[in-house]
Amino acid sequence: MGWFSKTKPMDDQSKPPSRSSRKQCWESRDGYFQCLDKISVVNALEPKHQSEIQKNCKGEEAKFEQDCATSWIKYFKEKRVVDYKREKFMQEMESKNAQQIDLSGMVRR
Amino acid sequence: MLSRVSIRSGLRLSSQANKLGSRNLMVYHRLHNVSSDGNLQGLNEAKDEVTKRKPLSRIAIGGTASQSQKASGGGSGSIEFATWKATALVLTLGGTLYYFFAKEKRRLEIEKEAEANRGYGKPLVGGPFKLVDFNGDEFTEQNLLGKFSIIYFGFSHCPDICPDELDKLSVWLDGLKKKGIEIQPIFITCDPARDPPHVLKEYLSEFHPDMIGLTGDYEAVKQACKKYRVYFSTPPSLKPGQDYLVDHSIFFYLMDPEGQFIDALGRQYDEQTGVAKIQEHVNAYAPKEQREKRKEKWYSFLFN
Repeated sequence: MGWFSKTKPMDDQSKPPSRSSRKQCWESRDGYFQCLDKISVVNALEPKHQSEIQKNCKGEEAKFEQDCATSWIKYFKEKRVVDYKREKFMQEMESKNAQQIDLSGMVRR
Repeated sequence: MLSRVSIRSGLRLSSQANKLGSRNLMVYHRLHNVSSDGNLQGLNEAKDEVTKRKPLSRIAIGGTASQSQKASGGGSGSIEFATWKATALVLTLGGTLYYFFAKEKRRLEIEKEAEANRGYGKPLVGGPFKLVDFNGDEFTEQNLLGKFSIIYFGFSHCPDICPDELDKLSVWLDGLKKKGIEIQPIFITCDPARDPPHVLKEYLSEFHPDMIGLTGDYEAVKQACKKYRVYFSTPPSLKPGQDYLVDHSIFFYLMDPEGQFIDALGRQYDEQTGVAKIQEHVNAYAPKEQREKRKEKWYSFLFN
């Protein structure tokens, strides 16, 4: 990137992200999240986890932050928490024998 | 048959008896008795005719081979014959009718769903808009006429959901094409600031080749989104060149060839079920003229 060594290609607002750059970002994200799974960190945005993340997942985090647009990084980290909570909720409901109802076929009137 | 016996001569009684089928045993018995008495000349002659061919005692019960064949053609055997034929007919007819009624019932359900979504008077979803396509040409609601369209709202800097959904849409479009259904896919950006026509063109080139990208100035896009009940939010204070995300609703809007909204397909539809649902709508579609006309018919209650 020459003179603008601090900016990354994904943050270029004048161009849409390409399929390949998206794929690369998603792969880096998955690698980073796998590392977070190992140290049982769900919310990477919480300050109390920072030292642990720095110790165990420094490389993965750097790659994730390099490959993904800045706005995406926050989004994916938040989404991880939401997805985790959702999955936990579903598991809890399932253990209570709750039934999932598909409302997609409803006729709106 | 029996009434015919009475008006025919005794001479032909034996041949009548053959035709009587199930009753012939009794008739032969009488014939034998009468002829041995020798009281009736005519019947004697008839007896001679029969005995010349074969003694009565040798005639099998139910008649000779040729007689029994005749009997089975028009006598008690015919019930069996008629039964399997009738059963087959009832089954085929019943099955076919059931199939068509079930199919028609589903078609009417889908049509009702579409009609409910079209709404009366002012459309619930959709309506006039004025945008620019990714080639710089004007694109309005008039461009929806004459073909089914699927409209999707998104933005090119969308992290994961929009590209996933657009890939799914590509699978739908190919699947529908294989079934002979052509749909006009339209992508409307909710982020006109970062998605001018050339950016949209570049972005959509990695998806389905039929895809049309629409953009416009902020107000035009906002109006179009409002018409489609799409709510999107861009962060309030933006510096030029700043990276941000746009929150927006994610639905595929299926529009009929009159440009009217008929269904919204959410994320619950996968690559197969989406194709099936759209196909059902396309097959159930009846032009407005036909729909109006039908309302005046005596069987209009079927469509209410």
